[in-house]
Amino acid sequence: MDAENVQPALVPIDFSNELLSSSELFQRRSQSHKIPVRGQKDFLPNDSVQQKACLEKILEEHWMLVTEERVERVGNLVNAEWIPEEKLVKLLTPAGKFWQTMGFSDQGKQCLFPEEALYLMECGNLQVFYQDLPLSIQEGYESFLSDETVTYLEYQVFSHLKRLGYVLNRLDARSPSLYKQQLNQPPFSNRSSKHRKRKWSQSPSFRLCNKKSTSSPEVSSGDQKGEIMTSVFLEAPGNLQTKQAFQDETLNSDPESVKAPWRNWWTNTSNEPQPDSLNPSELYWDFSCIFFPDLGSNSANCACLPPPDPSLLPGDLHVPECKLAHWHRNINLKKEHLSKQQQQRDQNRHRCNINDDQEVSQCRNWVEYLELMEKRRNQQQSERLTNFDKHEVMPLAQPRKCSSHRELLEQVSIIQSYDLLVGKPRLSDSDQWGITFNVYQPDIEFKKSYPGKPYTRLCVSSFDGPVPNLHVLKQLSFQSGDVPVTFAVVDHGDISFYCFKEFKLPTDVY
Amino acid sequence: MSTEAPEKTGDEGPSAGGGSGSGGGSRFDLEKETELRFEVEAGERVQLELLSGLAEVYGSELNRNKKYTFGPGSKIAVFTWQGCSVSLSGKTEVAYISKDTPMLLYLNTHAALEQMRRQAERDNERGPRVMVVGPTDVGKSTVCRLLLNYAVRLGRRPTLVELDVGQSSVSVPGTMSALYIERPADVEEGFSVQAPLVFHFGSTTPGTNIKLYNKLTSCLAEVFSQRCEVNRKASVGGCIINTCGWVKGSGYQALVHCASAFQVDVVLVLDQERLYNELKRDLPHFVRVVLLPKSGGVVERSKDCRRETRDDKIREYFYGFRGISFYPHAFDVRFSDVRIYKIGAPSIPDSCLPLGMSQDDTQLKLVPVSPGRDLTHHVLSVSCAEDDTEGGENRSRGILESPVCGFIVVTAVDTQAQVMTVLAPAPRPLPRHTLLIMDIRFIDLK
Repeated sequence: MDAENVQPALVPIDFSNELLSSSELFQRRSQSHKIPVRGQKDFLPNDSVQQKACLEKILEEHWMLVTEERVERVGNLVNAEWIPEEKLVKLLTPAGKFWQTMGFSDQGKQCLFPEEALYLMECGNLQVFYQDLPLSIQEGYESFLSDETVTYLEYQVFSHLKRLGYVLNRLDARSPSLYKQQLNQPPFSNRSSKHRKRKWSQSPSFRLCNKKSTSSPEVSSGDQKGEIMTSVFLEAPGNLQTKQAFQDETLNSDPESVKAPWRNWWTNTSNEPQPDSLNPSELYWDFSCIFFPDLGSNSANCACLPPPDPSLLPGDLHVPECKLAHWHRNINLKKEHLSKQQQQRDQNRHRCNINDDQEVSQCRNWVEYLELMEKRRNQQQSERLTNFDKHEVMPLAQPRKCSSHRELLEQVSIIQSYDLLVGKPRLSDSDQWGITFNVYQPDIEFKKSYPGKPYTRLCVSSFDGPVPNLHVLKQLSFQSGDVPVTFAVVDHGDISFYCFKEFKLPTDVY
Repeated sequence: MSTEAPEKTGDEGPSAGGGSGSGGGSRFDLEKETELRFEVEAGERVQLELLSGLAEVYGSELNRNKKYTFGPGSKIAVFTWQGCSVSLSGKTEVAYISKDTPMLLYLNTHAALEQMRRQAERDNERGPRVMVVGPTDVGKSTVCRLLLNYAVRLGRRPTLVELDVGQSSVSVPGTMSALYIERPADVEEGFSVQAPLVFHFGSTTPGTNIKLYNKLTSCLAEVFSQRCEVNRKASVGGCIINTCGWVKGSGYQALVHCASAFQVDVVLVLDQERLYNELKRDLPHFVRVVLLPKSGGVVERSKDCRRETRDDKIREYFYGFRGISFYPHAFDVRFSDVRIYKIGAPSIPDSCLPLGMSQDDTQLKLVPVSPGRDLTHHVLSVSCAEDDTEGGENRSRGILESPVCGFIVVTAVDTQAQVMTVLAPAPRPLPRHTLLIMDIRFIDLK
């Protein structure tokens, strides 16, 4: 991403000198600031010229966009300084309207988190200096994003939602006090010093602030959709139906993720190649010496059978050689009529040839083969029985022992229902999973000092990574309290949102 | 000499007595490797006589100047390897000479099997076990008969395993049987049925109780293996398994099960490539699956024709070939003296079953049948199971897996006197008192 407004930092340029004449300025203003529409992705590359041209065009548009120089009024830019030791950006000049939803004050200084600063840089609201030189956006990406601040993935989610108008702030997962959770106060607030008065007005709504930011072509107004729908899976506009294309990418480009012991967001089933079968000469009957007139084998070498040894024939017959070619033509002239169902069943069966199985192909006779089958059956059975005492396999419920439906349902419920919020998670916090942001809806009156209950909390993960398991879910929901947790899954820039819904199994019928 | 053509086998119709000569029939001169096919008109009889050369009918050689009589509905193919002339007298529906026969392929198949028997004899191993499969009306039984005849003519002692419950060539329909072959089949009568091993199945299609079918297949395989252990000749001779023409769905599964129960070495597939390909996939690689063509002489049999053949087979059991050699007995049996069972309870919907019970159990269940009028005309098998065996589960399995020692037909039921009149091959008393009822009926009209 990258080089927007690229100004090599090493070359000393006085930016204030880079002034534009009025005509130039006018020209810039009249340029279109729309982000080109991305459209739908194709499912597979099909090597067609059309597809290639389309891709190239989009790529070109993208580069154009990225290389375009941004023109901002120097007076509108807020200056700030990057403090790498604290991983913070401290404002040098008074903040703009963004202060309503972003930043905090620390010991009398206005500070921004790196992701906020980067976002503002991209919007053209902020100029960050480091060692007295302004940072380009590219440099901003390089220096602000790290494991200690926010990762690239997290930033992608952050900026995506930000552009849609949501208010996001960090959830400091390191010190979530239970008491605070009960109060629905995000731990974030213990960073900001509440006693300080904000100097800047909070009246303009967030939307205005956001609109202003749309002056950068990076943000198109058309994207602004109202509400995150926390249904089973929610997706940003423009990203719909891109998943299959990505599935493909994941499968092809990422063999590592397939091998991961975790379940992936997309599972892959790979067939391992079968090794060669056994040398047939080890079998008892050597059918390469015993000739059957087999019309089914399509090998050409059996077009003619040598005359059999007369001693094998009754009455000392002498017969000529047997020509099979004639019969090849005559066999099976009639087509068979199978019902659809049967055809389907046949097809299913046809998929596997038992001789493709390596172990089967190593059997030399029926005894070995049947032993193998018996062994497999036993294995399957014992696997099934491991959890039971072998002699006491019982039905879950006895017909006569239940007097009511409730009792019966209790007896047959093998999978206990699991309440995410009851009981403490036994697992310690995992490094991999954590809540990164609180998300607030755009249209509410947001106050930094009293943010209220977040609309949802975000956990960011990569598409190549594992799917969260129950422990993770439990731990995260415990951390989040009664605020739902949404998983933002980033796949090469496209973001999908998932959340897990709780539901109750029916436990009683009356 | 020798030869034959695959056609319907084993259904020589009932017709009275041996050949009564009507002299001066039509004469056919056959070149070598050709066959004469003819069908006998309904109600007629045809006599066949070999005038010169050598010829065979389904692998059984013809004697020169002996008259062979074929009853109505018979479909016969006379094959010659060397050339011959024969005469036919009587009314034939069709009679023509065909050069287009797959006999050479079948002969080569035999040669390959014989090679295997030789190897087995040398290495003290077991001989080839062959399963013949294919849809209906492709000449499975004929191919079996042919291969058995060739083998036995070379001094082998193969076993015929008859799994075709609809058209059994060994015993009455509705049974599964095995027959140890010691001499070539009679041209008119087929294989001489001496001491066959017969199991009661009870119906003419395997589909009515596929579980029982598979179970009896396993039983037969077990008994055959036991015989092979004690009889070296039987072991070297191997077996040839004739199967039913039901080759889809569970019929196909039954074939695969049969292959593994008998541990077959060779599967001969007649005329169906789909079946061939499927078996290649579903049988382990050391089983040789061979696709063979059917003979052009094979005729499709209608349902009626099959039913008639079944009737004839039962009549033959009681009255002998062409109904003239045996004299069955009719006598009364008191209900209290016998126990009648049916195998397989009607299936119950799953929702009515107790938890944990599986439906399959019912198919092998022995259900007592209370004697009544509806027994009339049913064929009953007399089970070899000892009458005094313990009751309960063991007994039921014992009866299932016991062979049959004979069959009777209920000709009349008197519910008031609590007796039924039966037709039996032997005089009273019944050798055993456990009877198994078949779905098959036989009305003793002729």
